[in-house]
Amino acid sequence: MIFRAVEDADLISRVRKGDIEGFNILVSRWEKRVFNYLLRLLGSPDDALDLSQDVFLKAYQNIRKLDDPARFGPWVFRIAHNEAYSFFRKRRPETALEDTNVIERRAAPGFAPDLSLAVTAALDRLHPDQREAVVLKVYQGFKFEEMAEILGSPVSTVKSRLYTALELLKNELAPVNIRGTR
Amino acid sequence: MSVCERIEEVRDYAFGELPEGKRGAVEEHVAGCAQCSAELDGLQLTTAALRILPDQEIPQRIAFVSDKVFAPSGFSKWFGAGWLNFASACVVAAGLVGAAFAYRPVVTIAAPAPVVTAAKMDVTAQMNEAVTQAVDQAVARIRAEDARVMDAALAASELKHEKQHRELLAAMDENLTYLQKRYSSVTMLASSDAMRFGGGQ
Repeated sequence: MIFRAVEDADLISRVRKGDIEGFNILVSRWEKRVFNYLLRLLGSPDDALDLSQDVFLKAYQNIRKLDDPARFGPWVFRIAHNEAYSFFRKRRPETALEDTNVIERRAAPGFAPDLSLAVTAALDRLHPDQREAVVLKVYQGFKFEEMAEILGSPVSTVKSRLYTALELLKNELAPVNIRGTR
Repeated sequence: MSVCERIEEVRDYAFGELPEGKRGAVEEHVAGCAQCSAELDGLQLTTAALRILPDQEIPQRIAFVSDKVFAPSGFSKWFGAGWLNFASACVVAAGLVGAAFAYRPVVTIAAPAPVVTAAKMDVTAQMNEAVTQAVDQAVARIRAEDARVMDAALAASELKHEKQHRELLAAMDENLTYLQKRYSSVTMLASSDAMRFGGGQ
């Protein structure tokens, strides 16, 4: 992890000196993670791809504003978080974020179809703030401090959202888990 | 049922956020605390269930700087290096010199030698100064030539008027001479008639 952070920092240093290829490497490293984060928030692969494009464009334009090059990941996810919420405000000002998640309900390969569908449905039913906390922690593997940086909230708030969400998910998925493990 | 005071540590342990030095103590506590043991099992089961949803492959690569088309071309780099300013200065200078030649073809202006190795700002400044000097010289020469032509025209006009004046005086002199002769002859005729008719009475 430290080695990777140093590598990102080196690339950012190169980008700041005008090496566009350095940014290209950064994009190739982070694009899948950013895309999947946005996909789980927005539900639409097309919107997630478009916003991913915007996220990296903004990252490139503002790369000099990144104070700590070793923290490129949380920084670019912070941009993605802002873009996602800006997207919802523009597209659906009258509807809440919780009504917008339309991720394709496809069964994950190798698992019981009802389990993967139940997981997706349970995630959909979470409050968007709670869902985002789960996505950042469980699927993206960020530390609590990094999540706080991305979401612009205190660590205690981030933890509270995450544990509340996991408690809800546990209650929803417990019966399915039992069936799926039979 | 009261919540175990170490439940927060157990949660941090479940997500790998606990420092290495505290992990052993938490593991010991969980082994003896049913509540924390259930919490840990629940978290591990739930996260395991969530992780069955795999990440999706990105439909297409982010088409930003990964494409060569976004990189500046050699021409753009050359332009971006400040040659546009220099080229613009050269065009303006050439235009000014050309205008000076067109206005007064006789004038010859020595073109300023370009200093290629100088910084672009110095070159531009030198070029502007040389052009300004050349234009000033051309204007001065044109004004001097105009003054010379005007002086010559004035002198010619004065000569012409003086000649005409002399010719007029000569003509008047001739007329006066003629009138004097005419007056003399008339006077003589009158005297002879008077003498002839006066002597017959």
